[in-house]
Amino acid sequence: MQTDTPEEVVRRDVGGMVTAAVFILIAVIALWDTTTMVDADSYVFPRAVAIAMIVFCLLLIAWDLMRPTSGNGDVSAPGASTVRRVSLVVTMLVSTALMPVLGFLVSGFAAFVSIMLIAMYDPWTRFRTLVYPLVCAAFVVGFYFLFAELLLVPLPIGSLFE
Amino acid sequence: MPGIEYLLEALTPFNIMLALCGVIAGTVIGSLPGLTATMAVAVLVPITFSMPPASALILMGAIYTGAIYGGAYAAILLNTPGTPSAIATTFDGFPMAKRGDGDLAVTLACLASVTGGLVGAAFLLGLAPPLAKVALAFGPVEYFWLAVFGLTLISALSEGNLLKGLIGACFGLLLSSIGIAEISADVRFTFGSQVLLGGIETVSALIGLYCVPVLIDLVATPDKHLKVTHQPKGFRLMEALAISWKHKFNLIRSSVIGTLVGILPGAGGSIAGLVAYSEARRVSKRTEHFGTGEPEGVQATESANNATVGGGFIPTLVLGIPGTPPDAVILGALLIQGVRTGPNLFTQEGSIVYTFIYGLFLATILMLPVGLVIGRYAYKIIITVPKAMLVPTVAFMTMIGTFSIRNSVSDVIIMITLGVIGWVLNRAGYSPSPIVLGLILGRIAEQGFVQAWTIGAATEELGLMFFGRPISLAIIAFICLSLFYPLVRARWIGRRRKVRAD
Repeated sequence: MQTDTPEEVVRRDVGGMVTAAVFILIAVIALWDTTTMVDADSYVFPRAVAIAMIVFCLLLIAWDLMRPTSGNGDVSAPGASTVRRVSLVVTMLVSTALMPVLGFLVSGFAAFVSIMLIAMYDPWTRFRTLVYPLVCAAFVVGFYFLFAELLLVPLPIGSLFE
Repeated sequence: MPGIEYLLEALTPFNIMLALCGVIAGTVIGSLPGLTATMAVAVLVPITFSMPPASALILMGAIYTGAIYGGAYAAILLNTPGTPSAIATTFDGFPMAKRGDGDLAVTLACLASVTGGLVGAAFLLGLAPPLAKVALAFGPVEYFWLAVFGLTLISALSEGNLLKGLIGACFGLLLSSIGIAEISADVRFTFGSQVLLGGIETVSALIGLYCVPVLIDLVATPDKHLKVTHQPKGFRLMEALAISWKHKFNLIRSSVIGTLVGILPGAGGSIAGLVAYSEARRVSKRTEHFGTGEPEGVQATESANNATVGGGFIPTLVLGIPGTPPDAVILGALLIQGVRTGPNLFTQEGSIVYTFIYGLFLATILMLPVGLVIGRYAYKIIITVPKAMLVPTVAFMTMIGTFSIRNSVSDVIIMITLGVIGWVLNRAGYSPSPIVLGLILGRIAEQGFVQAWTIGAATEELGLMFFGRPISLAIIAFICLSLFYPLVRARWIGRRRKVRAD
């Protein structure tokens, strides 16, 4: 008789099923939104896609309920820091949102330095303390020059400085 | 074959310098996520106004070809396609880099890009006028089937769960329909938001879905970004040449696919790369290794996307219909120069056209040393730069690159949001590639479908419209092959094994 070791025990793909349920919700909202469209050319394609998405999601949920598998998503590395992950995303979002107010140079420099601090795992030596901020400034100014002066991209100056 | 005088004209020191500078500039711009080949050409076009037309074309062609190749660096080393043409390069390029073969992948990409570029230019030189007719033979329904053919790749990209791949593709297709509908101009899925009126910008979405999840994981642990199995020495050129020689048919086939897709107006390098990848995977003896760091995958996509450069010039020069978006910019520059494109261009303005084509050969050949050197340093930088510098640099590049596409802060917010969604979906087992595939092919598929449907309904030949045209039938045959050949092959191999065992 064969006994399963704990690693071999199959679990339900809860993550996959929850996301499938969310996708069903998205598809239903999309279907509802298509009812406001007048022209058949506009709604035929998204409606067909939304219906297909609901069918696939229901199949996925049913399949996993009948034949549980452990799913095949990425597994977090041991000791991975959620705080750093969230901080990175928040920093990127906040600095982007502040770009029209503070301008590209200020918000870009703030974002660069903040993300550097978030990604810093090495100890702060005197060399790093001196050189890293200078490198940050050089990068931001360099990119500003490349995009604003050479590629003529109208980077925001910032309402504070206008 | 056009005379040697045009070749000599292309080989003047001024033209060689232009080709070299163009390739370097294009490669650097293309390697930055968010900066596309179209942007590289558009930004540098004003420089060409004071030049003779042939030299101007050589410079623009060199920038274009360099930018398409440059997109491979970010795709291989950062899992972020530098240009949309390099989407399929991420499928095997990044896994190669992760296992410690990033330098080999970059060299392979360079060799493949040069091969593809040369094949595309050879078609342009020898077969431009007859091939231009192919572009005219493609109607909306053919584009629709071509997009469906691209979507068949979902089965390859679903990493063991086809249903999740299909759901991801549907999500991508829905994302592609946000904004103003192209044909009926209805506003769809904006829910009153002004920001979403312009739709989801494809390159921003690519950057978000591919790059942001990498950054989120990169910042969470002190581990190195890429595994380094050996100290980088040289270009690993001999190894790459041996692999390229072994898979020479893959290179040639993918280059021809790239050229043919490049001829089709609006299709572009991303479709060429996806179709070539799909074919390479179908034909390969190592089908199951695709997506896990298979060199054949990198070769297929990189040769195909660079072949679109020569292919795209065929309808541009012969018919005045741009094959790819950068061709549209180049066409505009040619009109400013007073060059009238059309069927008579090759006979009446032979000196311009043939000098340019030889210049394109020159630029493509120059891409080999330039690409190898820049690629080597790009790889060295990525593996030696400390994480505290790498993460903010890449994050910063994604933000400024996304902003520069439409000068929109909202696009950057959407890019980051899509990145977070992509990361969450990755955790639940949904690969980002089917979503991207849906997003890119959705617009082409919908436009082709609706136009074909309208024409078919008006002529009361709906069935014939979709299933009665020779090119459509050929593409449908390829779709069936792509979907069912792996099953038939697996069954055939199983039966052979059984016979041998008996």
